[in-house]
Amino acid sequence: MSGPTTASSPVGRSRRRSQRTRPPAALTILALVIALLSLAPVGYLLLRGGLSPNLLIHELRSPTTGTLIIHTITLTACVTAVCIALGVGLALLVVRTDLPFRSLWTVLFALPLGIPAFVTSYTWVATGYRVMPQSTFIYGLRGAVIVLSLAVYPYVYLPVVAALRGLDPAHEETARALGSNAFTAFFRVTLPQLRTAIAGGSLLIALHMMAEFGALELLRYQTLTTAIVQRVTVLSAPEAARTLSVVLALGAFILLGGDWLLRGHAAPTRTGGGAPRPAAPWRLGALKPFWLLVCLLLMALALGVPLYSMVNGLVNALTHSGAPIDWAELGAAASYTAQTSLATALAATLVALPVSLLAVRFPGWIATLSERATWVAHSLPGVVISLALVYLSVRWLYPFYQTSALLVVGYVILFLPIAVGAQQGGIVQASPHYDNISRSLGVGPLITFLRVTLPLALPSVAAGSMLVFLNAGKELTMTLLLHPTGKHTLATALWATTNGEVLDFSSAAPYAITLVVITAVPAFILIRHTLHPTR
Amino acid sequence: MIRSDRSSHRYSLLLPVLACLLLLVATACGSSTSSTATSDASGAGTADTTSSATGSEGTPAASPSSDATPSVLTSGDTATPSTAASDVTLTLYSGQHEDLAKALAEAFEKATGIKIEVRAGSDADLANQIIEEGDRSKADLFMSEEPGQAAALDAKGLFSPVDPSTLALTDSRLNPKSGNWLAYAARSRVIFYNPNLIAEGDLPQSIMDLTDPKWKGKFAYAPSGAFVSTVTYLINTIGEEKTLDWLKGIKANGENLQKNGAVRDAVEAGQIPFGLSNHYYWYILAESKGGPDKMTSKVHFMSNDAGSLLLASGAAVLKSSKHQAEAQQFLAWLAQPDGGQKVIATTTPQYPASPDVKSTMGLKPLSDLQPPDVDQGTFGDVSKAKELITEAGII
Repeated sequence: MSGPTTASSPVGRSRRRSQRTRPPAALTILALVIALLSLAPVGYLLLRGGLSPNLLIHELRSPTTGTLIIHTITLTACVTAVCIALGVGLALLVVRTDLPFRSLWTVLFALPLGIPAFVTSYTWVATGYRVMPQSTFIYGLRGAVIVLSLAVYPYVYLPVVAALRGLDPAHEETARALGSNAFTAFFRVTLPQLRTAIAGGSLLIALHMMAEFGALELLRYQTLTTAIVQRVTVLSAPEAARTLSVVLALGAFILLGGDWLLRGHAAPTRTGGGAPRPAAPWRLGALKPFWLLVCLLLMALALGVPLYSMVNGLVNALTHSGAPIDWAELGAAASYTAQTSLATALAATLVALPVSLLAVRFPGWIATLSERATWVAHSLPGVVISLALVYLSVRWLYPFYQTSALLVVGYVILFLPIAVGAQQGGIVQASPHYDNISRSLGVGPLITFLRVTLPLALPSVAAGSMLVFLNAGKELTMTLLLHPTGKHTLATALWATTNGEVLDFSSAAPYAITLVVITAVPAFILIRHTLHPTR
Repeated sequence: MIRSDRSSHRYSLLLPVLACLLLLVATACGSSTSSTATSDASGAGTADTTSSATGSEGTPAASPSSDATPSVLTSGDTATPSTAASDVTLTLYSGQHEDLAKALAEAFEKATGIKIEVRAGSDADLANQIIEEGDRSKADLFMSEEPGQAAALDAKGLFSPVDPSTLALTDSRLNPKSGNWLAYAARSRVIFYNPNLIAEGDLPQSIMDLTDPKWKGKFAYAPSGAFVSTVTYLINTIGEEKTLDWLKGIKANGENLQKNGAVRDAVEAGQIPFGLSNHYYWYILAESKGGPDKMTSKVHFMSNDAGSLLLASGAAVLKSSKHQAEAQQFLAWLAQPDGGQKVIATTTPQYPASPDVKSTMGLKPLSDLQPPDVDQGTFGDVSKAKELITEAGII
């Protein structure tokens, strides 16, 4: 674990006063090393057994591959679009309108974050069988888009809430004063400033959709990832799986490149004090009950369905004379989940800092490449990344194999982009002028970073850690392959009780509820952060 | 400005806290890596506590240790005395249901004093893991759900031969010809049907009939390991060409529900008249519902058909294991009617592989089943099946 400790030091290593455009060499090198490490799974794809062009052509010409690619693109596009609409809409509703109980809704809307997507789909399928057993409404593309959107929209919602709250309403007021109406002012002035927040969240969702497996298997929708996993797990054809993964990684490169081009590079920085204060809320007027109903309905679907199944299962588990709850196992799994997630959150935060700093402060091709590189692994199925890490660690890092340390490394690779994305937002808002002032007063770059940039960006940095914590806590696929033998996280313990074979939630419920409680802590802190009243 | 000043003060307090936490984590990771050498000991400790927590139920095989151990000592050539054996901890990679694997590990420890750590996952994940680990595998034992992965690892030469006296204890139809892994349990391919939608008499005589357009939209299937084994069996009996035609027919007429559990649930709920699956999925649901009479759907066993294949769950000792004797001792115990077989009979609706042990889960007796004759070792080579399944567009 030497990476994280050195992560914050390099800025100070370069003795020369950097010209404004050139980053300190150490920072560049560090960012590149981190980028290379996060590309290790892709390297494995290409190098393990060599990538045979014949096999690639063979897989591409297989009758299913075309359909699978179309399915993957359709699902990714639909879920991302729905999530942007939901996330931005809900954020506006709680930040910019006079909706009653706004603080409560702000918290509630973010809570689906704490429920793993595979648990959400599990409970939807179980509820489907209970409520309308003969219906297949929730299966296929429609079901997958509905269920997954409900599970992941907070990744857009949260950053947009944070961005909306951090915005200086002066811009919009100026537009209004110049004659725009409220909506034009919003679309032409405010929305563009939300672009970074929306782009970051939706990119995360898009990549996640490319890699999602468990939920899609339950909801009966086939994508490249389900095919890859089935090639590994059913057909014992890891080489075919690796080849298809290359196709998926190519897709990720295209998505990342496209996102980078579309995102634009005019980084908005505030120069002056303009203390953020709440903008004048839009009045919902007579539509208030309607919007309240919409909120209620949405929460019933996103939170009600999973929580009902869990509580129902827990009641069963407590009253049923059958299998009693294994409290020792539950406690051990909970504490192990908390430990590994905490370690991952801290490590990912530190590892992400050089990348974020370079990307925001010293834009250039190296910065762009290293920032983009951290995202690629997020689009690959957990099975592939885990097999890469098993392969690499058995050969070159055997003492680390099947230790918690390797599990944490795996988590960091997987969730690094979450931290990078969150941190960039904060560093963008921390104006470089303060750095320059600090430097002009004779303070070195490292101290400047620690005492000026980092504190200014800290809310976003902390938000990134919380998000990583949440995700590490929920992770299943990779944990199953990398966990030390004999240790369970809540997610693997939950999986072990059902083995994916029984929809009865009674033995799974204690684990699921504990998981939700543990992940609710960072979710809550995260929300408190964004909610923190601006006086 | 005022605000950022204040917040910078507030957050500057956080920095030392963050640093401390980082230190903590670094030491934790450091200690966890340095403790890998001793992880056997600490892991054994956790296994101990879990066994004492759950050992009271479902492990009736505790008493016959007097019976099991001596027979092992006579059969195993280098079996260590039980006093020394208790120092050894075996690592078992198990694709079986974790409950069953743990129940077996606990009962074995009670019988012999040898501890077993269970690493549970899916057959293929663990087999892939063993392959990627190579000869540095942490596994001493491998236990699969389906014959496929056991036979595949066997074909790669990763298993030590099983003691012949151990193999003699279980149903000879189930053990592979190679003799390198032990069939310790079995599942039968079956049809689940919903009597509200189709009468048992109207079900197809053979799964080969399912290519007939009259079955379109009437049945569900899942491309599971057992499905792949069925395809391998067909290739070996009717040839590639006919198998491919069959697969295309299945793809055209059937609903691919991805998982056997989903096939069962869809038939039970009446979404579809019948489905191809493995027998025990139905019994698992029946148990959680409170008994077979609570089920709407029923199980139909076919006879002498690819749809009535009997598939063995395999257990084997890895060649790379440093505890060959103890690992063989586990296999011997696993095959004993009073040892592992009894645990299987009472904790899972899978068939125990010993002809002398009857499941307590109300299964149709193993001797009444009419599976086609097949060497379980042939399920290891899935290269042809893989090609045909992808060519038919099922995966």
